[in-house]
Amino acid sequence: MTLEKAYILLSLLVFLIGLLGVVIRKNLITILVSTEIMLNGVNLTLVTVDKYLGKVDGQIFALFILTVAAAEVAVGLGLIVSIFRLKGYEGSSEIVHLRD
Amino acid sequence: MEWLIFGVLAFWLLVSVLGAVLVKSPVHSILFFLSSVLSMAGIFLSLGAELLAGLQLIIYAVAIVVFYVLVITTIPWEKVKRFEGFYRKELFLGAPVVLAVFLLMGYMVLKGKLASPVGMAGENVRELGRTLFTSYLFPFEVASVILLVAMIGAILLGRKEE
Repeated sequence: MTLEKAYILLSLLVFLIGLLGVVIRKNLITILVSTEIMLNGVNLTLVTVDKYLGKVDGQIFALFILTVAAAEVAVGLGLIVSIFRLKGYEGSSEIVHLRD
Repeated sequence: MEWLIFGVLAFWLLVSVLGAVLVKSPVHSILFFLSSVLSMAGIFLSLGAELLAGLQLIIYAVAIVVFYVLVITTIPWEKVKRFEGFYRKELFLGAPVVLAVFLLMGYMVLKGKLASPVGMAGENVRELGRTLFTSYLFPFEVASVILLVAMIGAILLGRKEE
């Protein structure tokens, strides 16, 4: 087991813990935090493989992921605040209007 | 030595990520997330991606975490109190599935072979800038459009209803 594989296993674990967080959390804000954790795990994989291959393309992908994460946070938090202002709740179990 | 650095940073990262997912209060969850961002920047530094480590600190640890804390302060606290923690049943159902997926993918990572290295990158920041502004110039411009659209969308969403 080389160091690169250990880093890839670590990033897998981080990604899966973030996925578990999306499934189990009650608060909408913490669900967004869990998606950030998933994006961080993907970034770690890209940078690790980049170090192994000796190129910089993966780091550029990670840079774009950072950009998309910033945009996602802006839009997602705006959505949460407007849901809260219109409906007055923010639990993930109460937003079922599309399901019903 | 490399394994020692890996062990310390990986332990820090896993503890803070698990804390961010499992801790009760949303503010504590965001603080654990801040800790995980710091350890991730350390991992990037140890992997030789200096520019990305700096950007991680600037964008995540400064912009995004502060934004989360600001949004939490605008929401009344007693309303946040109703929805904290996690669903216990979903945790007991989801954790074995996640563990099984991790074992499966970890087996594939350990058994599989990585691609062979192509070249040695020189100075990180210079190489990255050169590649970004030659091969990836068009995606770079598209990223600026994404940021602009997200900004307009956030303004529209955050506007007060007439």
